[in-house]
Amino acid sequence: MKRYHRILLLLAAVLVACPAMYGQFAATGTTTLSVTVGAEAALQVTTGTTTLAAAGTIFNPYTGTTNIVYKIRTTKSTGTGTITLKVTSDFSPAGGPSVATPPTAGDALTYQCTVAAPGTGCSGSITSSTTAATSVATFGAGASSANAGNAASTAWTLTNDPVYQTGAYSGVVTYTISAT
Amino acid sequence: MIAISTRAWLFTIVSCCAPFCLSAATGTATQTLSAQINAIGKLSVPSTVSVVNSGTTFVAYTGNLSVSYRIRSTATTGSGTLSVKATNDFTPAGGPSIAGGMLTYTCSAATLGTACSGSRTLSTTSQTSVLTVGAGVCTGGGGSCSTNDPNTVQTSFTLADNPAYGTGTYSAVLTFTISAL
Repeated sequence: MKRYHRILLLLAAVLVACPAMYGQFAATGTTTLSVTVGAEAALQVTTGTTTLAAAGTIFNPYTGTTNIVYKIRTTKSTGTGTITLKVTSDFSPAGGPSVATPPTAGDALTYQCTVAAPGTGCSGSITSSTTAATSVATFGAGASSANAGNAASTAWTLTNDPVYQTGAYSGVVTYTISAT
Repeated sequence: MIAISTRAWLFTIVSCCAPFCLSAATGTATQTLSAQINAIGKLSVPSTVSVVNSGTTFVAYTGNLSVSYRIRSTATTGSGTLSVKATNDFTPAGGPSIAGGMLTYTCSAATLGTACSGSRTLSTTSQTSVLTVGAGVCTGGGGSCSTNDPNTVQTSFTLADNPAYGTGTYSAVLTFTISAL
């Protein structure tokens, strides 16, 4: 008897379920579309090559500016963001300026920052490094840039040391942006 | 086991055969059966769909949704449409906005009818097309009808990734509507 009861119950369940499944078809149907938006950051260096040039009085430092465009979104309430830079290839060839091993103490490649809101640019003149990333900008919680991106720049100053041999020297600076 | 007595079996057999055994004459009768077959359309969509980005920063969020449908349109003069409208924009506030034109979609791989072409911008105020069918089409059964049952059409959604969106999870409600003439 129990076996027949089970079969009857199964048949009843199928009969109940079938109309319900078919009932999913209707003249209209709704779906909930969801998206989870997280913290993101990206940047573009718009100055492909920054040329440092001395102007005016002799042995004035070499100067130049690198422009970047950044996009950022930090987490509401708790997020932060940074833009940093690091000299990933020192000046070459040898005989000229050097970030890692300047020929004369005090020689340096320094920079100052200009950063559009919501970023806060670095303060004062910062000495660049080949071993550590140094700050260009910081962002607080809930920060967001324009969809097209916001502008920032670093204005470079390189010591003009008479000991540098004449010639053209180049190095590579890498900018990094992050957001939480 | 269900036990049924011999007396009960005899009663059942006699009851069933009695009309045939007792009838002495035969006759025929006809009855006209008619059915009004109307144009109709029904559809089914998953209850949820997510759009995600690929991991590359500030690349659009994307997601796919398959719409299942059954449709029958009137021969010669009929037609049918399947459309979509955002009946609730993204909530909570501070995120993407369908009313702001940030959600678009494309249609493809319709197994019956013609999927919409190009990229369409979803609207909160008006229906936008997903699919159209012509006269005399029908789902399932083969022959002059589609062999697929149900029919399906793929929709692919693209949501712009704007830095201005606040972080968090947002959801909107899309309503698909099918009609047939």
